Amino acid sequence: MHLDPTFIKGLTIGLGAIGPAIGVGLIGAATVRSVGRNPEAQGKVLSTALVMAGLVDAVLAFVLLIVFTTS
Amino acid sequence: MIGFASAITVPTLAPEPIFSIFGLPITNSMFWGVLSSIIVVGFFTYVMRRSTVKPKSRLAFAVENLVDYMLDISIQNFGDRKKAMKFFPLLFTLFCLILFSNLSSLIPGIGTVNIGYQGVHVPLLRAFTLDLNATLAMAVFVNVLVQIAAFRELGVKKHLEHYFTNKPWNPMNIGLGLIEVFSELIRNVTLSMRLFGVMYAGEVLIRVFGIIGGDIGWLTMLPTYLLEVFFCLIQAYVFMVLSLVYLSMGTHNEDAHTEDEDHSLAANKPIVEAVRD
Repeated sequence: MHLDPTFIKGLTIGLGAIGPAIGVGLIGAATVRSVGRNPEAQGKVLSTALVMAGLVDAVLAFVLLIVFTTS
Repeated sequence: MIGFASAITVPTLAPEPIFSIFGLPITNSMFWGVLSSIIVVGFFTYVMRRSTVKPKSRLAFAVENLVDYMLDISIQNFGDRKKAMKFFPLLFTLFCLILFSNLSSLIPGIGTVNIGYQGVHVPLLRAFTLDLNATLAMAVFVNVLVQIAAFRELGVKKHLEHYFTNKPWNPMNIGLGLIEVFSELIRNVTLSMRLFGVMYAGEVLIRVFGIIGGDIGWLTMLPTYLLEVFFCLIQAYVFMVLSLVYLSMGTHNEDAHTEDEDHSLAANKPIVEAVRD
């Protein structure tokens, strides 16, 4: 069976984006909920949430790194 | 010799050598890394001279606020001002250098001005963090420092007890301890690959959008460009906060905090627990 490399690349980006997308969505939901519950803690919650978003986004960056560096 | 790139090209994974000193090839990322550290040091020296008790300079006031904010974060995470002051200069230096290097990859001309070396046209300047060697060096430096600080703070016995508990003859504890040691080693990889991966993927993404856009490449690049500014900030912050958390976790002495119940430590426990991977 022969598969087009471009097809595999597209599939890699698509499948690899699912996990980080869900992760960022969960972080956003939790942040909004906790700020709604305790608005005074917004700054603290937001800085933690941004760190978490950075950690999760790195997974997508790995996917892109693999896709772009393989020819 | 020096000229502009004629077409949008995807940057190579490894930095290219641009000249050599005594047979040692100097790559473009090393060259720009030295220059950017000089710029960062120069900037802070200038701000330091302008800084006064009664703020007159807006720039100095803004930078002081930034330093204050970062110091607050590190005091909250260490739970102790003295310990925070010990490690804060390193953490803030890492933050500033990484932030400047990340943002400098977005400056027009960096990565697009070419120079000929040994018959090939290579970019003259390349952002420091766009090089796996640089990020790996920073990550290894931080992790070695965590070990040294832990040994100095807790002593050899207590630090080893942190991994293998006080009953090391139990096979279960040996297994768990080895996993802990392995997770410490894997930090080098995750910390460096995270920064490099995000920066490299972002750089490639901008170029790819430029290529896809064709004649209106400048327009299709723009949203990615703005997104990349955000990622640069976040990644510099994440690198600093992770180093901070590793340091505070490594040097955390459980006996020392029993007498003074520090409210800031209790308030910030979640971030330490949550980031622990």
